[in-house]
Amino acid sequence: MIKPENQISIPTQLPSGPRLSIPLRFRDRRRVTILLTLAVLGYITLMTLPTMIPSHFKLTEALMSFAENIKIMFLQPRLVNTTFISLLGVLGQSILLAFLTTLIGSVLAFFFALASTRRLAPTSLVLGIQSFMAVIRAIPTVLWVLIYSVVFGLGANAAVVGITFHSVAYLTKVYADSMDELSPEIIETMQAMGLKKSAIIRQAIIPNLIPSYLSWTFIRFEINFADAIAVGAAAGAGGIGYQLFMSSSFYFNFHEVGVMVYMILAFALVLEIISYRLRAVKHQ
Amino acid sequence: MLTVNHLAKSYDGEKKSLTDVSFSVHPGEVTVIIGPSGAGKTTILRSINQLIRDDDGEILFDDTDMRQLNRSQLRRARCRIGMIFQNYNLIEPLTAIENVLHGCLGTKSNLAGIFSLYSNREKETALKLLEKVGLKDFAYQQCRNLSGGQKQRVGIARALMQHPKIILCDEPIASLDPKSTITVMDILRDLAINDGISVLINLHQVDIAREYADHVIGINNGQVVFDDRTQALSDAAITGIYQKGAVPERSLVHEF
Repeated sequence: MIKPENQISIPTQLPSGPRLSIPLRFRDRRRVTILLTLAVLGYITLMTLPTMIPSHFKLTEALMSFAENIKIMFLQPRLVNTTFISLLGVLGQSILLAFLTTLIGSVLAFFFALASTRRLAPTSLVLGIQSFMAVIRAIPTVLWVLIYSVVFGLGANAAVVGITFHSVAYLTKVYADSMDELSPEIIETMQAMGLKKSAIIRQAIIPNLIPSYLSWTFIRFEINFADAIAVGAAAGAGGIGYQLFMSSSFYFNFHEVGVMVYMILAFALVLEIISYRLRAVKHQ
Repeated sequence: MLTVNHLAKSYDGEKKSLTDVSFSVHPGEVTVIIGPSGAGKTTILRSINQLIRDDDGEILFDDTDMRQLNRSQLRRARCRIGMIFQNYNLIEPLTAIENVLHGCLGTKSNLAGIFSLYSNREKETALKLLEKVGLKDFAYQQCRNLSGGQKQRVGIARALMQHPKIILCDEPIASLDPKSTITVMDILRDLAINDGISVLINLHQVDIAREYADHVIGINNGQVVFDDRTQALSDAAITGIYQKGAVPERSLVHEF
């Protein structure tokens, strides 16, 4: 809906007198607000930046030691306190943590999504579940793990429940969105044949949903893998994240950190290849 | 078989989409509803199986009023009403035979629906129906790989799988090329003549209506303006159906 004040009126006659440049856009209130906000933020950033730099800070020295650490990590990866096999084991732990939380999350989220898609559920239920899930999503995964570690104590239990919790909220949203994208006519057609709701879900919704279900679940698996590494250190959940934390902050052994970073990168590469294949299936 | 009495419907509570529509459909006949866009053809068709809840009137299908049924009664009544659509509305990732078998799920249990449990007899019926519409060789093809005309024929086979007493067709040929149009219309006429099914079709094409219909109902501005045998559909009558009353396009523009 175009407001009357924003409507374009084409002048029938060009104004006489000195030639004015013709604007390409209206100076509407929204644009002015955005520009003003950016200007204020830019000013604050510029003013606070010098105060953040400590007095003994020397740029060249800092850059040199940064380069040195990067060199140790990426060019001289070497194991000192641990073996490659044991690192493979803890990498496996992180992968399994991601796998377990994605699995539980996707099953639970599927049922929540059925109850919160506009195609099947009443509006009140849709709004209720979606806003509840939005609140859960708004709090980062690592925080959920820390919150649950109050209940379960620091460790793997809190990590599993916390990551699953956030996964359910995330996947419910994307599954429900995928279901909303289905044509309402398809469900109407099934209803017109007298099908029960269970049959409509199984025979009409699921077959159409499988490609996006797979690709979203896989994206969540990638996220959960990253989270599993983070909470390994933050919540003592074990896995390669914990080793990474020990090597970098406890032993200060950046050679070992390098090995682990390469291992994580290799696995991320494998994930990327799989997700590329999945996307190809989706667009078949 | 199907009698509609004094059907009325308004979407926004003020402007009437249908005012006092009455007509009957007889077994073994092709009845065609024609009229300008926005006249209410689709509303009538969707009211019959209550995809649209109408405001007033009576829809007698086998002497029971569809409007008075509760949820499960309505579901059971819908099992015997086939419907085919302009956009076919098949489940595209599934095969043709899977789509056809959906037609018999309405009368089966939850478990059968969830685990796709069909008896061999039902599968045989589905294959026979696909043969009947000339798609025997395509039974195991994914529907997304079929052409428009083939999809519509799968849609007809799916409707027949319901063992319907009546088939409602909402613009069944609007997206089809001329050759497929003839194939689909021939099949529909054949169903009326040989299987005694009532076929009720919404159409835009008057020439097709003349060729295939036994009975024509003309709708304009939510009212029945013509209701007679096809022989009585003179050129003057057609002009009357398409010109009388409000121009529907104007009301569409008005909404924006």
